[in-house]
Amino acid sequence: MSKTKSETKQSAEPEKVRIYIMGSRYDVPTGLTIMKAMEYAGFKITRGAGCRAGFCGACSTVYRKAGDFRIYAALACQTPVEDGMVLTQLPFVPAPKPKYKIDDLRPSANSILRYYPEVARCLSCNACTRVCPQEINVMNYIQDCLHGKLAKAAEESFDCVQCGLCTIRCPAEIPQYHVAMLARRLHGKYNIPTPKYLEIRVKELEDGKYEEGFQELMTIDKKKLKERYTTRDFMDQKKGGGDE
Amino acid sequence: MKYSYFPGCNLKTNSVGFEETAIAVSKKLNAELVEMPEWNCCGTIHTQTTDNLMKRIAPVRNLARAAEHVKNLENSSKEVIHKQVVTLCSMCNSTLKIVNAEVKEDTDKLEPINWQLEYDNLEYKGDMEVKHFLEILRDDIGYETIMESVEKPLKGMRIASYYGCMLLHPEIAKIDDQEAPTVMESIVQALGAEVIDWPFFKFCCGSYHIVGEEDLVNIQVHTLIDAAKKRNANSIIVACPLCRYNLEHEQIELIKNGKMKNSLPIFYFTQLMALALGIKPMKLYHFEEHLVNPKPFLKELGLIGRKKSK
Repeated sequence: MSKTKSETKQSAEPEKVRIYIMGSRYDVPTGLTIMKAMEYAGFKITRGAGCRAGFCGACSTVYRKAGDFRIYAALACQTPVEDGMVLTQLPFVPAPKPKYKIDDLRPSANSILRYYPEVARCLSCNACTRVCPQEINVMNYIQDCLHGKLAKAAEESFDCVQCGLCTIRCPAEIPQYHVAMLARRLHGKYNIPTPKYLEIRVKELEDGKYEEGFQELMTIDKKKLKERYTTRDFMDQKKGGGDE
Repeated sequence: MKYSYFPGCNLKTNSVGFEETAIAVSKKLNAELVEMPEWNCCGTIHTQTTDNLMKRIAPVRNLARAAEHVKNLENSSKEVIHKQVVTLCSMCNSTLKIVNAEVKEDTDKLEPINWQLEYDNLEYKGDMEVKHFLEILRDDIGYETIMESVEKPLKGMRIASYYGCMLLHPEIAKIDDQEAPTVMESIVQALGAEVIDWPFFKFCCGSYHIVGEEDLVNIQVHTLIDAAKKRNANSIIVACPLCRYNLEHEQIELIKNGKMKNSLPIFYFTQLMALALGIKPMKLYHFEEHLVNPKPFLKELGLIGRKKSK
């Protein structure tokens, strides 16, 4: 599923679709995303919503369509409603997240297996890949981890938004997105050279170069903050402005 | 000639020397092993539960992917490629062979497994054969070709061929006669080494008991090594990463506990083939992976590092 553009303009049309939210029927305008449709129906989403732009991965959801036995999954902020959809919203995906010290590990399959031994339970059913809203080949990178191919795993999983849908669907109960994070950390730390600009930026931060700017943002009122945000210029960054 | 090759997890992590020497040997003998671009766990260990199809998705997916690989190899190399997938690890070989036979025979099993492959536009049609590299060496290349390719005969090596369980069992997955196999011995002979005849060629190494019942593995390995030594072997060849690990690890334990004086080096058959065929550089062999360092033994026989030893 690729990111769909906002289709709110079409909501002016009188046409409506029938959807079911947690079992109850609602008629909502066509063209709304799942998230907007639920809000239109009167639900207030306090967990399971974030950036509303398909980047944060907080709004993962599962649904079914009329006359279709399959269970579908998507990001609610990116997927338009269809007639006959059966919906709910997931507030959170529970997944184990062990603590490790990256400095004490080696970039190997065994480092992954030490913290995520369940990776070896992978059945290669590919349910994770099927469900991924980012079109990531999840099973392949889990298998790559098992074979110690961390570079491949890091690259394949790079677009992960950590929505957790893979983890919900996995019959082997692997928390794929946390495994991918460990693979990327190991790859980043041990296999690729540290970029110079990173060292420079970290030093700038440690030296308090941006402290003043942050303090200013913390004190100005909401109206001014909004104004600053909407009129911000990304090109300013090169001149040493704040990082967005 | 090219072959679609399925490596398996161990060959990528702790038995890299097995894989790299095998590929080098395959190229030298003009029967190149080409790794499948995408593959997953072989599905080990094969489940004895006949209705657990979930556990059979992994092997069937590999077979379907291998079939695709064969097609692509055929298109890119413009030669006929056997509808085969070649393995090195005896566990992978066994798992893939058993499941392949099962789904070929029982299409009622294959169909629901194929439903799981639909999303990837894959379908296994039951048209592949699983072969161990030893079978390719015996049936496609032939011992004579191997013998003719030898540059440095393995003089002084007295080798006990160890098949372990998985190369010969179960019946459906065997690569040779279950009671009197000859493939490894024939290769040893072709390489110019002495064949040691011993009855322990498939005496279990202790397998996965290494995880929870190491004592049991220790007894098995003690018996095995003593038997090989009694018959005057000075080295053992294997085709299984787990056999290699158990045989090496427990020898070290036995020496530590004073139950054994000296150890026998353990080799993958491909390492010795590479050595005899004069394949370099030495880093391909990954002798550093071995817990029992085989280098002093090879140096003593003048098979490696001649330049350094005067």
